[in-house]
Amino acid sequence: MLGRTMHAIAYDAVHDEIFVPQQFGQGILVFDGKSTGEVAPKRVIEGPDTQLIALDRLGVDPINNEIYVPEGRKVLVFPRGANGNVKPIRILEGPDTTVLAARAVAIDTVRNLVVVGATPYGANAGDERTSELAIFDRTATGNAKPLRVITGMGGMQNIAVYPESGLIFGVGSSFVSVWRIDDSGKVPPRFTIGGPNGKLVDPRGVTINGKTKTVVISDKYLNAVLTYSVPQLFTSPATEAGR
Amino acid sequence: MNRLSKSTARSAAGLGVGALLVLFSGDRPAARQRLQSGGDAVLIASEPLSDSTGAICLWPTDRQVDELRARRATAQRLEQQGRRGRSTAGPGGEVIGGDPLRMVRDPNAAFAAVAVDVARNEVIATDENLFQILAFKRTDNTPETARTTPLRTIAGDNTQIEFQSGVYIDPESGDIYATNNDTRNKMAVFAHGGNGDVAPIRLLETPHGAFGITVDGAHSEMLLTIQHDSAIVTYRKQADGKESPIRLLQGPKTGIADPHGIVIDPKDDVFFVANYGSTHDASATIEKRTGVPSGGQDVGKTNWPLGREYAIPGSGTINAPSIVVHKRTDSGNASAVRVIQGPATQLDWPTGLAFDAERRELFVANDAGSSVLVFDANASGNAAPKRVLKGPKTNLANPTSVFADTKNGDLWVANFGGHTITVYPLAANGNTAPTRTLRSAPPDAPSLMIGNPGAVAYDSTRDELLVPN
Repeated sequence: MLGRTMHAIAYDAVHDEIFVPQQFGQGILVFDGKSTGEVAPKRVIEGPDTQLIALDRLGVDPINNEIYVPEGRKVLVFPRGANGNVKPIRILEGPDTTVLAARAVAIDTVRNLVVVGATPYGANAGDERTSELAIFDRTATGNAKPLRVITGMGGMQNIAVYPESGLIFGVGSSFVSVWRIDDSGKVPPRFTIGGPNGKLVDPRGVTINGKTKTVVISDKYLNAVLTYSVPQLFTSPATEAGR
Repeated sequence: MNRLSKSTARSAAGLGVGALLVLFSGDRPAARQRLQSGGDAVLIASEPLSDSTGAICLWPTDRQVDELRARRATAQRLEQQGRRGRSTAGPGGEVIGGDPLRMVRDPNAAFAAVAVDVARNEVIATDENLFQILAFKRTDNTPETARTTPLRTIAGDNTQIEFQSGVYIDPESGDIYATNNDTRNKMAVFAHGGNGDVAPIRLLETPHGAFGITVDGAHSEMLLTIQHDSAIVTYRKQADGKESPIRLLQGPKTGIADPHGIVIDPKDDVFFVANYGSTHDASATIEKRTGVPSGGQDVGKTNWPLGREYAIPGSGTINAPSIVVHKRTDSGNASAVRVIQGPATQLDWPTGLAFDAERRELFVANDAGSSVLVFDANASGNAAPKRVLKGPKTNLANPTSVFADTKNGDLWVANFGGHTITVYPLAANGNTAPTRTLRSAPPDAPSLMIGNPGAVAYDSTRDELLVPN
């Protein structure tokens, strides 16, 4: 059921499951973590009740058992164990959210927060060069206001949160920016990784390996996966570092 | 509906690149290899070549290769960062991490599409990994100890090449038509003989997600498949710039679903389309969705597919792969003339198509099946292929493109997962060894098949990286 055009993947270590969006078929495929070869997904979320349109990203909360999907002006939330034609259990949508076009989502399971990387209201919805990080209570629904918004960045393509350190990693320009999750307003990142003027050309994906204190970044122009050593982000308390 | 690992690369984290275990498990078995120090190499096959001809070059030293790659990578990176408007000034904050500890990247060409310029005795191939078009002598044959030296290489910022997935050679002029897939909405035409960082002689704006291309010489029409919109757009053969298509085929009756390869049968005036099977419905009457990447391309255009901004929520389906046959002049939501679909077909990510108009045979590069399927021109329904080229002697490795050279009796296959282009007799069947091979890397070089990696995830249970493509 996979295609050659998949732009997201999430791994749930608690339940040992892999989540992949199928954007043309408007579905979420869930595979066992040990899957290899041509195996069927163990669950498929798909159908008219899902409201899925062209899912390009997703996030998984293994603690609270939820899947988050940014879909244009909406963020759809499904039960992690959902299968078939299921309705979202929550939809975050509306002008008060500040989210005009949601592009990426990540969950802080320690602080019970959800971070949405988005084009904000007031910008052209198709403008990928104006971005924000809107931080909500995890259970926010409807036209909820964010708890705070980090602004001033451009071209946010993807995000990741490392709850243990309380850090947000934003894949934007030719580097990855790092903010504290309690940052707010138009503030520069605490750190940048891989640049500017480094080897990255067009980074798209980011993931954190706390064991090796590394950040792993995929670059679509280089067709490569690059690993950076950033031990200073994993020291305690990391959130006091930077600036 | 049951594949995970075709595009999901797993790699053991925490090891140096030289010892990195790279597993594209399952249906890309040719890439299931360990790098130099890993051991347990799984080499699909190696056949001694009896007759090596054409331009070859012996492997340079690792240091020479590293230096060359470093110079080229730096130049390209600076060009691309500048072209994309990427900042050369920092956004603030402390720069940490320095250079990467390691980089998983295939330094060799990954052949995605192939076509033969019969009149000039050349073979043209696109490389989706390093973004280049390569021209080789048609009669080249390269042993495992060497790589094939191209006659010419088109690459660089001026070419506007990125992820080129389809190629067509004009038999009269030798001009090269090549579609950029997914990231740049352009179809570039290069003059025959172009070499280096040359600009295309025409650059046509296409809908997002163009993949395959075929040209009907009799009517001077060019047909492109559009993956994202499950559509076929037909242009004038000489179309350029912002010109609109002259016909559009899109809709649930068409049977088009994540289309890839396309080829025309000039005798019956029909065309074949290879579908992976996933699709959704779209409607111009629903509220236009905002914030869709590449949305708004339709403004000022006619015969433009309904893009993702018009997708009907929850209408998606994931179906079995198929080949649909349409009349050349079909438009709108026209039904297919025939559909080849079902378990007997062996279709499994059918990608490139070729047609032998004399023998009335359709060739399918069956990517996930690592095979080439041959169907009768009139095949329909759950039809078994009349021939299947498959097996360890074939050296097929995730084939994504085929070309039928009826003048010379050759079947050409681009092996995206094998660093090779392999050649067989047109009538080859079963576990047949290639008669000639072009190579971009030695046989034991891992074929990563990382293409447009939009994400990465860390599997902490297995200490592996998951990379969708």
